[in-house]
Amino acid sequence: MDRASHLSTIVDLSPAQWTLSGSAPKERHSLDLQSFLSQLLIFLNSHVACKDQNTLAIFGALPGRSVMLYPSTTQAAGSNSADANTYRPFKVLDSTVIDSLSKQVEALDASETEAPVGLVGALTKALCYINRVAALATENDQTVAVDPRILILSVSPDQSASYIPIMNSIFSAQKLKVTIDVCKVYGPDSVFLQQAAHLTGGSYIHLDRPDALLQYLTMSFLPPPSIRQLLAVPTQDKVDFRAACFCHKRIVDIGFVCSVCLSIFCQPVPVCSTCRTKFPIKTLQRLNAARPTILTSAATPTSGNASTFPSSTTNRVATTNGNGPNPNGVR
Amino acid sequence: MPSIEPNPESTVPDGEKSHVLLTFLHSQSQNALSRLYQRPSACLSIFRFISLPLERQLIMNLLWMESPISTATMSAWVTREGRKAYNESLSTLARLHIVPHSASKLALNSTFKSSLRHAITGGGASGSFGLPADADLQHPSPSIDTLDAYALERWETILHYMVSSGTGQFPARPSKEVLFLLQRSGLMTSMHGGALQITSSGFQFLLHSPHAQLWELLLQYLQIVEERQMDLVEVLSFLLMLSTMELGQEYSSEKLSSTQIAMLADLRNYGLIWQRDTSSRRFNPTRLATALTSSSPPLPMSSGIGVSSQSQGFIVLETNYRLYAYTDNPLQIAVLNLFVTLKSRFPNLVIGAITRESVKKALANGITADQIISYLTAHAHPQMHKNVCSDCKPLLPVTVQDQIRLWELEKNRLKSEEGYLYTAFASQADYEYVLNYAKQLNIVLWENPSRRCFFGSLDGHANIRGFIERRTAGNA
Repeated sequence: MDRASHLSTIVDLSPAQWTLSGSAPKERHSLDLQSFLSQLLIFLNSHVACKDQNTLAIFGALPGRSVMLYPSTTQAAGSNSADANTYRPFKVLDSTVIDSLSKQVEALDASETEAPVGLVGALTKALCYINRVAALATENDQTVAVDPRILILSVSPDQSASYIPIMNSIFSAQKLKVTIDVCKVYGPDSVFLQQAAHLTGGSYIHLDRPDALLQYLTMSFLPPPSIRQLLAVPTQDKVDFRAACFCHKRIVDIGFVCSVCLSIFCQPVPVCSTCRTKFPIKTLQRLNAARPTILTSAATPTSGNASTFPSSTTNRVATTNGNGPNPNGVR
Repeated sequence: MPSIEPNPESTVPDGEKSHVLLTFLHSQSQNALSRLYQRPSACLSIFRFISLPLERQLIMNLLWMESPISTATMSAWVTREGRKAYNESLSTLARLHIVPHSASKLALNSTFKSSLRHAITGGGASGSFGLPADADLQHPSPSIDTLDAYALERWETILHYMVSSGTGQFPARPSKEVLFLLQRSGLMTSMHGGALQITSSGFQFLLHSPHAQLWELLLQYLQIVEERQMDLVEVLSFLLMLSTMELGQEYSSEKLSSTQIAMLADLRNYGLIWQRDTSSRRFNPTRLATALTSSSPPLPMSSGIGVSSQSQGFIVLETNYRLYAYTDNPLQIAVLNLFVTLKSRFPNLVIGAITRESVKKALANGITADQIISYLTAHAHPQMHKNVCSDCKPLLPVTVQDQIRLWELEKNRLKSEEGYLYTAFASQADYEYVLNYAKQLNIVLWENPSRRCFFGSLDGHANIRGFIERRTAGNA
């Protein structure tokens, strides 16, 4: 029951979003980057404190790219002098993270600060890292199994363009048995990250009081997945299962799914852009004719509409879960 | 035979049970504990010793709360399946005086809270993680390999001395303090004032994991310390401080208290720390010390000279009871010799067989079958693990495991129990009347109606006697 666990943390470091978060009025319990980082470091220290063998990796999602800020496997040999008042691993962790972070931020060009953050890159790197750690563990010693999880601290809104890579990362995480936890520190709910947490058995928390971040982190994200069945860790009561269409990368309430390759489109198309399947004109016309009525009559975006459309040979409405060549967790 | 007192402290810590140190802490006064909790390093180490993740999580939940939280709120945080574990965790923490027992409000012990906060955030001026010494250009600090070799040499000297004490060989003697400790802990005893002999608990000790062995000795040390009028809290906090230190870093002994400086000599003897010479004002913790709080990484002792392969295990056991041990370490060979008939020896390989005689000899020494099996399992060669992975077989051949257990059962064919034999009943009615009464109390061990006698256990005797006396008095 008591095993070492691995935590990969992905920190969203979008300068624009953090400025907004920091400048929000005090009554709304705003949180600026500085206090966010200090609370985060305390949380990371607590993770290391829980067990000597616990491992940690930190990835930063910066505008347009992603970097690894700290891996616990390759420790920088004590460059900084030891301190009698601080446990050394904590000191190494804190100073490494802050150093590499400030280096990255200084290297940022003023023109790129508005660019969307490289969340997908960070997520992929985290998965690769976990895969490597797990492979090493099995190679060296069969008895040590890591209990990996990923924690995403997000402030940026969804980028619909990254729908497909995020979904693919989620499926790899499922395969690697990695739990993805999401903590939405600032900004509106993220549709994709909600799905990520839901599909991997993690929890998604939207902070009501971002200034109490540490308590949220400690109570919800510190316990390793193995003891979560004993704890009432908050999970989301409703999950937004909407998908993004492949043609315009818009998040759609009702989409049209290619019956061959399960690609999603926001409007009926004569030829599937992914697999080049041609659809009969007749079906297109029927679907087009039906569109406005659906938009008005459908109360919930995910309610089943299959009954209104006798399943045609070409198109079907996005009501089924696809696990085909283009894996889309769409309901 | 010298009697060996069962020592509650020296039980093996196994996975789920709480660590021996925590058991020891339970017996300490609240006052001593809160003095101990003043040090951030001690709090951090104790926090790591707490074996259940749920208990650690509870502490973490409460750590950043400024005001006490009501029990109802906190218990809403566990699911129904977790209720039992949650209540157990709370009572464990209450025994350690970390979360004082309370019906309505939950809060961390304030001393513990502020120290653990200091430990996690760093800073402050407690200096409890050891004062690092400045680099000394004249005497560069020893490399990690040197430290490992030193710790290993010290530790194996102790174990090797124990294992060969009965065989007539005379390996290097550990220091007098170590011998005293071994004698005090009941691991060795001196026969008729002569040389020290290993006891049956000493044999069991040899088969434990290095981590358990280390803590067993340290707990004995703590008890001796109390008799020597040293301050237990100082000693404990120094041990826990050592466990948070960095391997390969040199520390200065300037800020240590006089008790702790006195300890340096003892710990040097056990191989926990390294010093250039006895008067040196700086010391290096060895891996034995820095691995005190971590449960699984093996201490350097199993490594020996052929480092990497041996740390993983070196024993191959076949279904025909043959055993191949790839080792040239005299200590490991000596330990194996406790329960294996060794046949031939090569530069890096020892061949032997597990026989009825060899196992019986081990059993006679007080070693149990389970200990033998767990030793073999813990030191199995990687090649044996490979078979397990491919077709889900148990690690050791089942036949051998079963046979070792059967040999142990053979020893236990007779069971002795103390009691009283009741005979010479005047009539069959009398006999049956008393027998019925004894049966109701469930104390009859044996009965023979034709001879009108039965045998009752010791603790039932007072009842039976009272019953007979009352009856004869009533009849008279």
